[in-house]
Amino acid sequence: MSLAELQKLSTRSGGARVKQETPDNKAALFFLGPWLVGAVALTIGPMAASLYLAFTDYNLLQDPRWIGLANFERMLEDDRLHKSIEVTFTYVAFGVPAQLAVALLLAIALDRGMRGLPFYRSAFYLPSLLGASVAIAVLWRLIFGSEGLFNSILGTLGIDSSTSWIANPDTALWTIVMLHVWTFGSPMVIFLAGLRQIPREYYEAASTDGASPLRQFRSITLPLLTPIIFFNLVLAIINSFQAFTQAFVVSGGTGGPSDSTLFYTLYLYQEGFGAFRMGYASALAWLLVVIVGAFTVINFWASRFWVHYDD
Amino acid sequence: MRLTTSSARRAAAAVATTAALLGLTACGTGEQPGSGSEGEAPELSEEAVTLRVTWWGGDSRHPLTQEAIEAFEEKHPNIKVEGAFADWGGYWDKLATQTAGGNAPDIMQMDELYLASYADRGALYDLEQTTQLDTSALDPNIVDLGRSDGTLYGMPISTTAFGILANTDLLDELGLTLPDTTTWTWDDLSAFAEEVSEASDGEVVGISPLNNGYSLQLWARQHGEALFSGGAVSISPETLAGYFQQALDWTESGAAASASRQAELAGVSIDQSDFSTRKQALLFSQITQIPAYEAATGGATLEPVKIPTEDANEADYSYLKPGMYWSVSSTSKHPAEAALLIDFLVNDPEAGQILGTDRGIPSNGTVREAIVDGLEPGQQRAAEFVAAEEEYIGAAPEITPNGASELDTLIARYLEDVLFESQTPDQAAEAFIDQLDATIKSAN
Repeated sequence: MSLAELQKLSTRSGGARVKQETPDNKAALFFLGPWLVGAVALTIGPMAASLYLAFTDYNLLQDPRWIGLANFERMLEDDRLHKSIEVTFTYVAFGVPAQLAVALLLAIALDRGMRGLPFYRSAFYLPSLLGASVAIAVLWRLIFGSEGLFNSILGTLGIDSSTSWIANPDTALWTIVMLHVWTFGSPMVIFLAGLRQIPREYYEAASTDGASPLRQFRSITLPLLTPIIFFNLVLAIINSFQAFTQAFVVSGGTGGPSDSTLFYTLYLYQEGFGAFRMGYASALAWLLVVIVGAFTVINFWASRFWVHYDD
Repeated sequence: MRLTTSSARRAAAAVATTAALLGLTACGTGEQPGSGSEGEAPELSEEAVTLRVTWWGGDSRHPLTQEAIEAFEEKHPNIKVEGAFADWGGYWDKLATQTAGGNAPDIMQMDELYLASYADRGALYDLEQTTQLDTSALDPNIVDLGRSDGTLYGMPISTTAFGILANTDLLDELGLTLPDTTTWTWDDLSAFAEEVSEASDGEVVGISPLNNGYSLQLWARQHGEALFSGGAVSISPETLAGYFQQALDWTESGAAASASRQAELAGVSIDQSDFSTRKQALLFSQITQIPAYEAATGGATLEPVKIPTEDANEADYSYLKPGMYWSVSSTSKHPAEAALLIDFLVNDPEAGQILGTDRGIPSNGTVREAIVDGLEPGQQRAAEFVAAEEEYIGAAPEITPNGASELDTLIARYLEDVLFESQTPDQAAEAFIDQLDATIKSAN
């Protein structure tokens, strides 16, 4: 039924309702106003501008010059771009599943109902609030530095290490993946809510039938939790592709050592503000939109095969 | 329903218009490309004028600059000056964005790396169009380093020289003495740096590699080349490979810290560096940084010495570099007043007394002489070193061309590739030159 038909129905059912609708819409617009202004001025406007700039040579100081697809052609031969895609994909491919697994395990542990649950819930959630912040990234530098906490712990275990984990091209990215995993709080809270939705009777019935806890987890918890897992997965992938702060602070904005933490967004930032190639940076931004969009579409498509909604 | 649709339509129209407007403002920049227009010198206004000034720097710089600005305002009651500052990294992001938005400050502190990049893109004002700015008390060689294509876009504030700071307290503790540094070669330095590491059982390293544009320029000049010529990269791959090789040798021999330690410390603040925490005895630095490093090392005695050469008696390779510049935006509505303020900050003895050597040794000879006696010991040693460097000074080099403002970042990146052995020095040299050339070409 179209909107117009609905409208007709409501008109028939009494004139008073039409009169009501006008002020309602105005009120809605009024309340939406601040958000609309923000969305247009801070999101849609700049996006439109950047779409235009993606097809220009724009150095920030002079007027942009239309160059058609040249920025996109350049991407094909840009070795640092390829490196940054590799780094970002590695981060997403390992960080996202690891973080969700940790979040799920802890959610299940907390769901058992233990003393002081609210405290643990908050304590575990804390890293999520701090994880993307500059302070934590600075802390990470200290923990994984050559004289950091991590090496001291290794030292007490009898392993002598003086390497700087954040400054070694083989390990630097993995410290940032760990930082990501550590911020498991927000998917954990969502998992916890999801676990609470599963009717207890299912488990009771299962244990009466003699199902082991592992079996219960596989046949009851996991299937019923798939919509929640799916939701967390989509969000985590989108967010991880946009990771910036951690890499920026841990590497001091360089993406180093030796480009091993050159995240996509970091490279984009370097090109736009460091090298004054804002046209190219805009094109990079749109490539990222396409990549994230593609992953989300694939995710939704694939969800048909493994996500169960109870109906 | 009609109301609903029309308001929806209105909203959609509003969205579209705003988006279009934003798009336009984002692109509407650089209305006054260049300041090359021939015309009469701008005159000072009788009416109230407000100038905006920005600079980067550490905490000590801001109150001093503010004080100098107030002294200026007292002399010129109709001119009001608003100052703003940032740290080095944030400064350039902000300046680029402001300039792009047509909202550049009237006066900006400028660096040699960025001077041509801003000037050639029409963002700066030709300072010689005004009559308010006097450059006669500056060495013409230094003034020339404020020119791009012959036009003066930056007024040099200070001069600095490149050299080595030696922590003699630390060397004494280790029972070592510097060799004769007036005639030393790179091999002498390598040998001495290794001695430091051996004498301290690796607790203290000798040196850290050269890793910036200034040092690369000197390296090229010692090899009879120049980093840039005719606005293009002119250093040979062999010479550049030698620069990278030196770093690799030191890292492997233990004269310098391990590659990962160096990478870890890249970009940390002065007081966190190994040199400041007494884990390194020698440091390549702009000599005018002595007071900053003395403070960071907790009062160690730092002796400035000249950099080595390939053979002992090389001359003419050195040059003094403007520490920084004052530039005027090409979109400034008050270029005459802006030039007047710059003239005051650089040439006026009163301003000179207030600002001291915070931005380096003053470029103005008269101001320099006026303040030299009142300097603290560290600053005095820096001033003496700069004066003594005269002996090795040759013709001034070309400034960093438009598009090459990433020079230091590029050097650091390729150096890391070499030290972590993902590229050989030869490969890195070729790739570095290709990339720097490409960036310059794409900007011009």
